[in-house]
Amino acid sequence: MTDWIRPTSLAEAVDARRDHPDYLVLAGGTDVMVGAIDRPAPIGVIDIFGLPELCVCEHDDEGRLRLGAGMSYAHLLGDARVAAAAPALVESAREIGALQIQARGTLGGNLGTCSPVGDTLPVLLALDAEIELRGPDGTRWLPVDDFCTGYRTTALAADELIVSVRLPVDSSSREQVWRKVGTRRAQSISKVMLCASTHRRDDGRLADVRIGLGAIAARPLRARATEAVLEGALPDGPLAARAAQAVLNDIAPIDDVRSRADYRRATTARLIRRWVLHLAQTSTTTNTGS
Amino acid sequence: MAGGIERKVINTTHGPDAPHGDFTRVGQRARKIDGIGKATGEAVYTDDIVLPGMLHAKTLRSPHAHAKILSIDTSRALALAGVHAVVVGSEMPVKYGVIPWTPDENALATDKVRFIGDEVAAVAAIDEDTANAALALIDVEYELLEPFFDPHKSLVQSEPQIHETDARGQPYKKGNISKNVLLEFGEVDAAIDGAAHVVEDDYVFHGTAHAPIEPHCAVARFGSDGVLTLWSSTQIPHYVHRALARVLEMPAHRIRVIQPHLGGAFGGKSDPFSLEFCVCKLAMKSKRPVKMLYTREETFYTHRGRHPMEMHFRTACDAEGRVTGVDSKILIDGGSYSSFGLVTTYYSGQLLTGPCHFPTYRFDSTRVFTNKPPCGPKRGHGSVQPRFALEIQLDRLATKVGLDPIEFRRRNLQAENSQTVNGQTITSNGYLECLDVVEEASGWKDKRGKLPFGRGVGMAGSMYISGTNYAVYPNDMPQAGILVKLDRSGLAQVYTGTSDIGQGSSSVMATLVAEELGLRLDQVRVIAADTDLTPVDLGAYSSRITLMAGNASVDAGRKLRKQVQAAVGEHFDIPPQQVMLAEGFAFDREDGERRITSQQAFELTETKFETLAATGSYNTPDRGGDYRGGTIGASPAYSFTAHAAEVSVDTETGEIKIEKFWVAHDCGRAISPVQVEGQIEGSTYMGAAEVVLESHDVYSDESHVEAGLHRRPSLLEYTIPTSLDTPEIDARIVESIDPEGPYGAKEAGEGPLHGSIPAVANAIYDACGIWLTELPFSPGKVLAALRAKQGETSAPSPNGKASADTSVEAIRARLAAAKKGKS
Repeated sequence: MTDWIRPTSLAEAVDARRDHPDYLVLAGGTDVMVGAIDRPAPIGVIDIFGLPELCVCEHDDEGRLRLGAGMSYAHLLGDARVAAAAPALVESAREIGALQIQARGTLGGNLGTCSPVGDTLPVLLALDAEIELRGPDGTRWLPVDDFCTGYRTTALAADELIVSVRLPVDSSSREQVWRKVGTRRAQSISKVMLCASTHRRDDGRLADVRIGLGAIAARPLRARATEAVLEGALPDGPLAARAAQAVLNDIAPIDDVRSRADYRRATTARLIRRWVLHLAQTSTTTNTGS
Repeated sequence: MAGGIERKVINTTHGPDAPHGDFTRVGQRARKIDGIGKATGEAVYTDDIVLPGMLHAKTLRSPHAHAKILSIDTSRALALAGVHAVVVGSEMPVKYGVIPWTPDENALATDKVRFIGDEVAAVAAIDEDTANAALALIDVEYELLEPFFDPHKSLVQSEPQIHETDARGQPYKKGNISKNVLLEFGEVDAAIDGAAHVVEDDYVFHGTAHAPIEPHCAVARFGSDGVLTLWSSTQIPHYVHRALARVLEMPAHRIRVIQPHLGGAFGGKSDPFSLEFCVCKLAMKSKRPVKMLYTREETFYTHRGRHPMEMHFRTACDAEGRVTGVDSKILIDGGSYSSFGLVTTYYSGQLLTGPCHFPTYRFDSTRVFTNKPPCGPKRGHGSVQPRFALEIQLDRLATKVGLDPIEFRRRNLQAENSQTVNGQTITSNGYLECLDVVEEASGWKDKRGKLPFGRGVGMAGSMYISGTNYAVYPNDMPQAGILVKLDRSGLAQVYTGTSDIGQGSSSVMATLVAEELGLRLDQVRVIAADTDLTPVDLGAYSSRITLMAGNASVDAGRKLRKQVQAAVGEHFDIPPQQVMLAEGFAFDREDGERRITSQQAFELTETKFETLAATGSYNTPDRGGDYRGGTIGASPAYSFTAHAAEVSVDTETGEIKIEKFWVAHDCGRAISPVQVEGQIEGSTYMGAAEVVLESHDVYSDESHVEAGLHRRPSLLEYTIPTSLDTPEIDARIVESIDPEGPYGAKEAGEGPLHGSIPAVANAIYDACGIWLTELPFSPGKVLAALRAKQGETSAPSPNGKASADTSVEAIRARLAAAKKGKS
């Protein structure tokens, strides 16, 4: 029989995790239950779904938005503060699974599974989010790019819990774009996901460019070579072509039942190109360099 | 095959005067009689049935695509606590098949397995977990054989044979070929070679599955009275009844087959299946009722889905755009068993000869066996694939001639009351009106060739049978029988062997009987698909029920109406024909104040004629061409459909979005307009799924470690459209009032699928100038076709050239190198 622990506070949950590092942590169950048929039953479960301290959504003293790891996608979709700070996160949540999945699936669960096709991960990457982890020795914060370490692996220690996600103060002033290419418009696992964000300087040049990509490598990742091409540059047609070329060096897609590597490469490049062209068209600075 | 039987003539008169003025039920927008029960969860499906002491069964399936079975040892499974019975193939050695000429299936494999998923043994236990645990304890020794995944290989390589014996148990002489049909009508080569315009191309239609919401399920009880009862999610109770008697070697009169509510079938439940035999045998062995419910994964292996076809088509027309000839050569991948494959092979050619008139025609279709899940009939059986090819060819010819595609089709009409080139009789034909309707509704003239790049409209036409003229086993008995009983309560009970699989056939029967007897729908109760209670009907396939069982219903209803009119006429002292039955009353037509309720009328009738019941029957007229196979594809009446589609193509990602469909369908007469619209929408939805999303296939590289395994046996990865993916569908009904159908009705369940696929293909051409010929139209294929087109026009790529190291070949080489490094 599987042991079942349902903590009533975060402190209890941290203790349970310390005492039972071999137990499965269960939130909305949208990943766990899908795989349950093919896996042996866990010896124990720590059920943290709906734990109030994990469902907070608030600005901290420095004005950063802190999203509880237990927030469901539906919760994210309904919160005006999330919409203001991270519209791309709201857009990605809206396209996850379908309404039933959105009601159960959580931000922390998406991080904990760290699937290459986790829908919110490219957004968190593109917004420089930090992850709050709590264990017996206290709290530590990790940039999301350091949190994701590989194919379904994370930096989470066996005695730690994912507690929250923190977005930088400047998130709301970033221009954000989200694009998911899937086989269908709901209940679909992605072929390619792109989240990109940037600031613009007064002269129209791009600054602090961040690009998060999903489904194009073993883990969600930042397109650093592409970011380097775009950083400080004025968006125009030639820049779009250079960025589209650069992104091919950032990714390592595979063939699988949903898509093919060559399609993923071509499409990622085109999504990047299209975003840069969009930036060029929406530039408030007169651009003579096309 | 119909022998010397005289056709039963039913005095169906049509038009506004028949049978008693305006119709009261036919053509009304009524709800399905079982709609609310299904929506509330009240309806009982097979898996809802729970019997005292019932066991649960599971099936052991082959992990090999092609292998001999050397031995099966079930002793360890039988020893497991909770296991009540195990059955293996040698206990049911008689072969069966839905087509009597090709019985090549066993309930469980006897000597060899032919695909991954082939059934090997079955266990009945106290619950599913125990049954699954027992499966793991069955020891099977296999000797692997070379598998066939490529139909081209099956065409040329006859050893090892997938089926070694024929129906008579003699060595099978055709290698790995299942069926070949070559028919030629007129001088095709001369007609094509001398024509002003010729188009010639290859087309690929992929495999697709039915994906009904309800997986297959069966429950059996072997009673102490010696009666075997099977409840099954089948769409052919009568054929299952016959197959059970044959395989279980039991007299048919001791077997009863009941079809409970069914959660969709689409052709996927029109074969007898392994689980039906296994639950019966296990119930007989264990002396307990036994249930088996397939998992979703098992339904993908059970399959019987649409046959993949590789089609080479040549079509020609004269300078004015009149088609002169059509020539096709088709390779059909049948998978591991025959199923309906003999018919599929004929249908791939026989059903194409309207609504476009062919002066000459040849088709050469070959179905081969491969070691894959068996293919069978799926909505639009056999003809959806070649229709896809043909309707694109017609658009290409229209383009060459410089004619609008709709005008081109008007110019090539296979008219009403005519014979097609292959000898099929067309009675009514509302195709021209269908074309007018979609042209107008879609705003065709303002859109075709006039929308911005990346957006376009396209159309296609099609024709389909309203039932096949002949039963799958030759006999001269009626195709459809019905029994209507009138009760003193004022209720009409309709006993029909028809299978309501969600298509609404029971509602159609109720509507027709209510119309004949002047009843409200709540005064008619339908008892359907129970071989003990209901007269034989051949089942829900080939879109036969409305026309065939509908005619039988009218036949029975009319006999009773005459009796009621006679009794009430006597009571009112007026001639019988002056008695009018409507809305639950019997009236004096001349004096509406003189009326009695239906209940009173039935009492008077029973007093006069004693206990009230009537049977009705329908058999088909003699039809079809006078040549071998000429009756396959023959139908009493054909439906016609025109589709228009508007699409947008994202030329950067290759994604296709179907914006809207306009569909006009000639169903003869809409007995139930709501249901006809539902069938148009459902068919078109299914076609839209096949054109952009669905793909049923196995890993086909023989060296692949998972060769023969299904690539996506789940509804997560086998993508069918969600409501968000479903385009708006504007469904229009055209009524041509056919002389053969009840009140003029023809089919509506399958025809409206065909054109949805080529209409999208033709719209994509209008949107961005590419002809896609290989389904499904995945984004990668769209991009490849756009690249090829750019190559043709030798315009430089706007994206800049791809460097050598990002070419597909280079990536593949790197991947291969990486894989080698791992191993």
